[in-house]
Amino acid sequence: MRRISLLVFVSVLLSCESRKQEIVVLSEVESAIDLSHIGKTKLSEYGFFVGELKTLTPAAGVVAYTLNSALFSDYALKKRFVKIPEGKAVTYAADDVFDFPEGTILIKNFYYPADFNKPEYNIRILETRLLINEAGVWKALPYIWNEEQTEAYLSVAGKTIPVSWTNTDGQQRNINYSVPNMNQCKGCHLRGDNVMPIGPGARQLNGDLEFSAGKQNQLVYWQTHGLLQGLPSIDAIDKLASYEDASIPINDRARAWLEINCAHCHRADGPAKNSGLYLLASETNPARLGIGKAPVAAGKGSGGLLYGIVPGNPDASILQYRIESIHPGVMMPELGRSITHTEGVALVRQWIEGLK
Amino acid sequence: MRYVIFFSSVLCVACATHKSETRVWQSIEQSLQTQLITIQDGDTLFMPEGNFMFTKSLAMEGKSNITIRGKGIDKTILSFKNQIEGAQGLLVSNGRNITLEDFSIEDAKGDNLKVSEVVGITLKRIRSVWADGPKTENGAYALYPVLCKHVLIDECIAMGSSDAGIYVGQSDSVIIRNSKAYWNVAGIESENSRWVEIYGNEAYENTGGILIFDLPGLTQYGHTTKVYNNNIHNNNHDNFAMKGNIVASIPPGTGVMILATHNLELTGNDIIDNKTVGTGIISYELVAALNEGEVEQEASIGGVQTVANNFRADSLYNPFPYGIYIHNNNYQNSKWFPALSHDIGKLFFMKSFMNPPDIVYDGIPDPNRPDRQICVQQGDEVIVINLDAANDFENLKKGARQFNCEGVKISLR
Repeated sequence: MRRISLLVFVSVLLSCESRKQEIVVLSEVESAIDLSHIGKTKLSEYGFFVGELKTLTPAAGVVAYTLNSALFSDYALKKRFVKIPEGKAVTYAADDVFDFPEGTILIKNFYYPADFNKPEYNIRILETRLLINEAGVWKALPYIWNEEQTEAYLSVAGKTIPVSWTNTDGQQRNINYSVPNMNQCKGCHLRGDNVMPIGPGARQLNGDLEFSAGKQNQLVYWQTHGLLQGLPSIDAIDKLASYEDASIPINDRARAWLEINCAHCHRADGPAKNSGLYLLASETNPARLGIGKAPVAAGKGSGGLLYGIVPGNPDASILQYRIESIHPGVMMPELGRSITHTEGVALVRQWIEGLK
Repeated sequence: MRYVIFFSSVLCVACATHKSETRVWQSIEQSLQTQLITIQDGDTLFMPEGNFMFTKSLAMEGKSNITIRGKGIDKTILSFKNQIEGAQGLLVSNGRNITLEDFSIEDAKGDNLKVSEVVGITLKRIRSVWADGPKTENGAYALYPVLCKHVLIDECIAMGSSDAGIYVGQSDSVIIRNSKAYWNVAGIESENSRWVEIYGNEAYENTGGILIFDLPGLTQYGHTTKVYNNNIHNNNHDNFAMKGNIVASIPPGTGVMILATHNLELTGNDIIDNKTVGTGIISYELVAALNEGEVEQEASIGGVQTVANNFRADSLYNPFPYGIYIHNNNYQNSKWFPALSHDIGKLFFMKSFMNPPDIVYDGIPDPNRPDRQICVQQGDEVIVINLDAANDFENLKKGARQFNCEGVKISLR
């Protein structure tokens, strides 16, 4: 049994001056809940890392990977690893995320450096999210790191953690970082009735990473190390653009940004299919993409605008309005950020401006 | 196995300098969310009596045979007034046989209660409101089952929604009964849903009372709806929907609106003092035309000529209503003037002076279905108008008996 630490909400007073009702919220009493049936209570128990836990030095069989375009998570940096059971391998698939063998664990660590100009130094790891394939079913488990950075503990209900860092431009930024609760994990990872990984497929992994033996294409590395079967010639493999790569055409970058930030829900088999808005980079139907599409159930999320995307006019486009917003009832994605991804929304803005 | 959530008072801070009532709220946020995650299939979660404030969405996912029960509609209050994260108050998704009963949800930043992709959802004695009354900033839907099957909404109350109070979307086998919806833009709305019964409800003082809509480009199209024995009155509220949403085009003073759907029976309802129109039967063509008019006014928006064509590009979508049977309702209207704030209201003011219509049909012909199977049996007292909207109302026709029921066959199975 582990005691769940609780948000202490001592009091919130609203508008003493006005005629409005006053709101007083009392703190919550601690309760103890046994989580051992859900998963291991400590991250260290899995043995993913050797040496000091916080160095995230992978043990044998744990392989680092990166994605061409990553979901925006309030500027948190991410270190990703995959552990595929020995003797098993992924079967290549061209379009979708890979079908990983039973026993696979995907490990994603979220961290902030104190200064983004020195991203390798003075790191604070906030959480580690695991996707574990048990008997063909994925389960999502969030672990929250302690302040001493010596251990991370399973948390089902999530947590709000104040974080501050120095930006590359020297500005100080302060946010309340939100670790999702276990249901919120599924909010993004659900495909139909099943939890699924979002990132690691051929198009996202088709790029170079620095391995101990030098820089190499990740798919080639996976194949030569027996982690991947059936890889075609690397030239024949589609590649999702890196939205951060300014040398790539704006259309590809913006569509990559929309895919990784939106299409886990906004796809024909995703939780937002009821909206009729599908944002995979492969979507070719303009109405499905939001062009000239009236909203379905947006409510005030429409911002008083009439269409998802109005070509040439981002300020008349609901999509632009919602990705820029930080109002909980308006913002998209609904979860996973508390601030606006300035660079990302600028990219989408530029893309809509150029649409005809 | 039973769950009980405990709470205790710790600290109370009051503001000494003014007189307004102090409402004291507890926080059970962390423990309730943990329960919603760890609850085992088959369990009942008992929520205690009290006022409870939340800062994030509550969510329950992938559970079967669960009941969440409060101590009563006025006893267990969940408020999201201080919400900083999440687009709903309570979200229930991907489950089977879920029952929520006897509590209130207030003031979420988005929808108060959303139920998505659940087979078997019962909402009983749930009061879902925005406590300060109608405002454009309020969330869209008070009670919002979407992509569900076997939905029962019974003895619920919905108030203050900036879109629809009770809204069922893209769902099958739905019953909405014995509930109240007031001060919403739309009181009760069934959208792209199939096999729906709406009965014994009171929808009043909304902009529109009960709406049955079918919209293009979605996962499924709706049909087969029975609306009976409802009290639909005084739906004359200003339209406070955010522009861009389909309900923003509803004229204040609308009793029942039937849009682009088929196989619908409307009977035994009191449809009283809805000042602009008792019942409208319209096609999506008319909505698109009204929308285009709005767009033309906004010269700054470019490239929108595609809009009207989008629904035409959806080959599976039929924008025209057909198979509509309206009979034995009690239509009354003591109001002399329709809502003059709305173009449709102005039109009725001119075409049916001092006598707003009980039933209006837009009269836009369906090229693929000349016989629309629309039947009205309401005696000689009702005012029925065929707008001939396709020809700028040139051949607008008034007359109680213009929708002959001979040969009309409508299946409600």
